[in-house]
Amino acid sequence: MERRNALIALVCGGSAIAGGVVGVPAAIYALSTTKREGQLWRDIGPVEEFELGRIVPAKVQRDTQATKHQVVEAGIYVWRKTTEEIIVFSRSCTDLGCPVTFDAGSRCFFCPCHGGIFDQHGERMAGPPDRPLYRYANRIQLGILQVDLHSVPPMI
Amino acid sequence: MAFERSQRIATQLGLVRIWQWTQDRFALNRIWQHILDRRVAKGAWYFGDGATLFFLFTVLFATGGAMALGYSASPDQAYESIQRITFQDHLGWFIRGLHYWSAGLMVVMLFFHLFRQILVGGYKSPREATWLIGVLLFFGVITMSLLGYILRWDERGIYALRVMLNMAYRVPSIGEYLVTIIQGGREIGAPTLSRIYAAHVIIGPILLVTLIGYHLYLVIVHSVTSPTERKRPVASGAEQKAVYKQDAQSVERGEDFFPDTAAKSGLMALLIFILAIALTFVFGGGQLYSPANLHESSYPMEEWWWSWFSSLAAWLPPSFANLFYVGFPLTVFALLVLLPFLERTPYRGIRNRPIATLFVVSCVVGLFGLSSLRIQSNWTAWPSDTPPPVPVGLTLPPNAEKGRLLFAEFGCNSCHAIDGHGPSFAPDLAALPHTMSHRELRNYILQPPTGIAMPAYVGRLTEEQLSQLVDFVLVVQISRR
Repeated sequence: MERRNALIALVCGGSAIAGGVVGVPAAIYALSTTKREGQLWRDIGPVEEFELGRIVPAKVQRDTQATKHQVVEAGIYVWRKTTEEIIVFSRSCTDLGCPVTFDAGSRCFFCPCHGGIFDQHGERMAGPPDRPLYRYANRIQLGILQVDLHSVPPMI
Repeated sequence: MAFERSQRIATQLGLVRIWQWTQDRFALNRIWQHILDRRVAKGAWYFGDGATLFFLFTVLFATGGAMALGYSASPDQAYESIQRITFQDHLGWFIRGLHYWSAGLMVVMLFFHLFRQILVGGYKSPREATWLIGVLLFFGVITMSLLGYILRWDERGIYALRVMLNMAYRVPSIGEYLVTIIQGGREIGAPTLSRIYAAHVIIGPILLVTLIGYHLYLVIVHSVTSPTERKRPVASGAEQKAVYKQDAQSVERGEDFFPDTAAKSGLMALLIFILAIALTFVFGGGQLYSPANLHESSYPMEEWWWSWFSSLAAWLPPSFANLFYVGFPLTVFALLVLLPFLERTPYRGIRNRPIATLFVVSCVVGLFGLSSLRIQSNWTAWPSDTPPPVPVGLTLPPNAEKGRLLFAEFGCNSCHAIDGHGPSFAPDLAALPHTMSHRELRNYILQPPTGIAMPAYVGRLTEEQLSQLVDFVLVVQISRR
């Protein structure tokens, strides 16, 4: 019986160790990720191209390394409020990420999915969104409007 | 006579020996004995929902495997490869269409199966483990039904992905980490599609095959709810085994699994299969929308088997959103897992279990009701350049006609309908419950009361424009009274 117990321990222990040797690295590989650190500035375009007072759609290039495919670009809305102040909204609804569309007539952002509506300041007017539209941090470098990709959540 | 003759020929040719050898070496006898040649309790034809699910899974497995030969899991090629499968490859449209419709029907059958088990108490002893594996399968198939259409890498797919990521983002404290894990990086890109592909085409099917195998093994070991179990209280697992054995052995309450049960279950599977094929022929090989992008103005929708969830989301008060998106799936999972341990009454079958019946009926009514609300989507406002049509039989005075054009220019028609034309998010202005004077309407437009989801137009409209707009609304209103 001694021998039997030893064998049981050996088989079970051996299997557990083998499982661990494969499983733990596999799990670590699957669950590790690149963290976002610092800021990541991207050019939008010459600031003068944005008409004062209007909210206009624009695009931001996210991954410059990737091969050319559509998803590299994310839609944004640029509002050059004054010569001093620019607001850059994400087009991602803060409810579940559907693409909001700005209506110049009513000056509202409409979400096509679950009825989210935001006013021109990005504040919620209707629907399930529980926070205002995400705003990108922005700056002007040598007359070029830039936004910080890391200033909004990663799925945007 | 003919039979004996063919038997003799078979013996001469050595076929009988080959057959005996095959039976022995491949252990066909044992398979026959353990799986097919069993006495089981009689079940109704709709007990074939499980067999139907199994069958649909094999269809999805085969069609999915075929499509995997042509699909390319890279963001710059995925969409084109789906186009190629659908429009160029031989019978690609049929394979893809059958995959799509079988997936949708599988979700429907999944709910059917789940609800039927709740109705008859299929989770009661000794079938708790069968139920628990089933719960895992439920969530597995539901997840697959979302991952599958992300692979199309069209607008609908990418926004389904974004919905999934936004839900993950709401998980307290690890939300952002979860998002980067699913995305495979800091943003949606090539690793994201690789991960969705691996999950849908490799990991998902392997897990499902394993779990389905185990589930069916447990169904053979613990069987399905028998006629007597459904009629009288059965307190314990041991009592159930005795009752079941009697049922299975009896002539009127039992039957042979093969061919009796197999034929009945197969009939239901066949009907659903024919439905899937019919849908494929009627509606074609599955939809494909614009290529995936995150910058164009678009109006994405979920696939039809998720409509109920969209309606539910649309009704959420904002303060409840976080709790719902994270808590709802977790609560459903926890309740389903705990069900066999919470509900331990000896009653099985529909007749003795009014609460279960009430629950399932309200779930079904809820799912259908919510899904039909999604067709209307009354909560959605959307911009349009087209002014509302002049109501039939009405000639607008010049001022009001100008107002009609302003109605579109200033986005009134994004929310308001006029005489039934336009979105139903805000009240139809031709049919307001109480009339407003010219002055009241003017002031309302300039500064709507607080709490009303309408922008203030103060400073945006000239007095003349304002007056034209109000004229238009009032003229239509009066003409409709």
